[in-house]
Amino acid sequence: MAKERSHKAQIVIDRLGKKLNRQIVGSLVACVHCGNCTDACHYVLANPGDPTYAPAYKADKIRSIFKRHYDWTGRIFPWWVHAKSLHTDEDLEELKDIVFGKCTNCRRCTINCPMGVDLATFNRMARGLLVSVGVMPEGVAVVSKDQWEIGNQMGVLKEDYVDTLEWLTEEMQMEYPKSPGIPIDTVGADVVYSINPREVKYDPRTISDAAMIFNEAGENWTMPAEDWDMTNFGLFSGDDDLGGGVARRLYEKVVELKGKKLVISECGHGYRSTRCEGPNWAQHDVSFPMESSVITMINYIKEGKIKVDKSKNTEKMTFHDSCNNARSCGLTEEPRELLNLVCENFQEMYPNRTENYCCTGGGGAMSMSEYTPQRLISAKVKADQLKATGASVVVTSCHNCVDGLADLIKHYKLDMKVTQLVNLVANALVIDKPIEVPTEEVSIPAAVTPVVAEAACLQGYKILVADDEPDFVTFVSTVLEDNGAEIIKAYDGNQALELARKEKPDLMTLDITMPGKSGIEVFEILRSDDELADIPVCIMTGKPELRKLIYDRAVKPPEGYVDKPIDEESIILNIRRILELAKSKGK
Amino acid sequence: MAIFEQGDVKIDVDEDGFMEEPDQWNEKVAVALASTEGVDELSEDHWKLINYLREYYAKFGIAPMIRKLCKETGFPLKKVYEMFPSGPAKGACKVAGLAKPTGCV
Repeated sequence: MAKERSHKAQIVIDRLGKKLNRQIVGSLVACVHCGNCTDACHYVLANPGDPTYAPAYKADKIRSIFKRHYDWTGRIFPWWVHAKSLHTDEDLEELKDIVFGKCTNCRRCTINCPMGVDLATFNRMARGLLVSVGVMPEGVAVVSKDQWEIGNQMGVLKEDYVDTLEWLTEEMQMEYPKSPGIPIDTVGADVVYSINPREVKYDPRTISDAAMIFNEAGENWTMPAEDWDMTNFGLFSGDDDLGGGVARRLYEKVVELKGKKLVISECGHGYRSTRCEGPNWAQHDVSFPMESSVITMINYIKEGKIKVDKSKNTEKMTFHDSCNNARSCGLTEEPRELLNLVCENFQEMYPNRTENYCCTGGGGAMSMSEYTPQRLISAKVKADQLKATGASVVVTSCHNCVDGLADLIKHYKLDMKVTQLVNLVANALVIDKPIEVPTEEVSIPAAVTPVVAEAACLQGYKILVADDEPDFVTFVSTVLEDNGAEIIKAYDGNQALELARKEKPDLMTLDITMPGKSGIEVFEILRSDDELADIPVCIMTGKPELRKLIYDRAVKPPEGYVDKPIDEESIILNIRRILELAKSKGK
Repeated sequence: MAIFEQGDVKIDVDEDGFMEEPDQWNEKVAVALASTEGVDELSEDHWKLINYLREYYAKFGIAPMIRKLCKETGFPLKKVYEMFPSGPAKGACKVAGLAKPTGCV
């Protein structure tokens, strides 16, 4: 008798069939278990006694499901071709620990496979299938949520972002009074510069350095006030919808600003997602060129737009290739060329270029704390490789690698610093003339809406509050009413649906556990009803683990969710954000 | 989940060494965590920064932007990096007992 299968496992199997394309099937059937990939993987090299790290072993875990359900050999002789199905949620968790925890999707095994098996591609596919039923490391869930809802992976709000850029401008102008600083939202700029949220949130020195270089080159450039995130957790989570959504925002922003070229700061996965994968995920034709800032900087030097003095960077330096840049985008020679232009003492590491080892923090691994111990064990390979160069500085063109390398340098107590090319170029800049730009040309950023609620910020909005706890309904309603919203109250699922149909609110807050129809059922009915499907929904639940159920549906996910207990500030913050996003989408 | 132990300090930390139970934080804990981030002694300025991070985190549940941190404490960016060589995200936040910042850091 066939074993029973959990709801989620069934969905994963069904969706696997829809994900299969020639590239993936080719990789799934082509493996001859020759073992070449084994020596290519840093996890194996650091754990020689553990066969579960071997790429072919990891791949077989996914391959066996494909064989069981989609390959005729596995349907007829499952025992012969090692076909195996998924049955329980525990099976999914086990698969999660492999596809997220034992592989950084670095593709070193791929380029060393004589059969052309691209493990990273179907490993990413498997991640995507798990994410679609809510099985993922918590860190990936948090970051994906921020990228969906706020528009960038670290949840940086527009006000804070613009404030930071203005502050950097002030600091620059303290040193160079005539510097134009950072132009924000300039229309028709030749270069639109996009960054990683990490830069603006924690380490904006790379932004200042890039600004110095652009300004010294006399570039007509700008940074968008919104939709500026070029990173993309869709690449890591395997969620193509997220990948497409994030990439599309940036493309549309460049068009809106009538920018002529998009320059992407030094981030490996961001460069790959934005320049190489994004147009496919987003199903979007991109009408402007996109380039890595590494290439922009080389061109400035070659064209004589900036002058550099390499004697300013004297330490012995080596270069680490980001997997995404080198193996997926072919960016191997340009960074070396640039490095040789700005530093005196470059020492190659071995192996290098497309054969270089992963920083061991790739594929989103830096956001998955649960796997940190095994990540750091596997990092021994990289640590030994760095040590052998005798360099005191490791240069890389990727923010993720900066953090991955810094982590392993600390763990293995290497005497090394990590830096990026932009820092070295800025340090080597020869500034021999004051930058002359008339002050009236400095663009003034648009007024920014403060995040803290001002009176009546929800004026004109009709909000339906659905929850079976009367006290909670009263609390949320009062907060929203105080801010000008018109409130409709529902105390169970049926009433919520009825009022949604009758009143067509601008937004609905929804509890998950309610008598009658649960919030999950209500949500599914809403989304399947053409007239109601576009009402933004904010889940408010005291059981955050249940939110995964929402993602388990074949309908569009909610616009936001808030965990109870909830305070006034986060109600306003979340509701306003959803309404503003809905408004900007609707226009 | 792991345990971090140094002297008579014993706390629950995540796999990256960030505190799991913010209530376990005290000044002794901060000193012990600082030693793992290359900070051997906590000066008055260090405490000012730590206290700001803790207040902000208690209020908003996330780490502040570096801009806010510099503005409110009056320290220039350079000084923050001098005080915490591993940076505000990994260094200062860890010592102040915050959870690991989200995203690829």
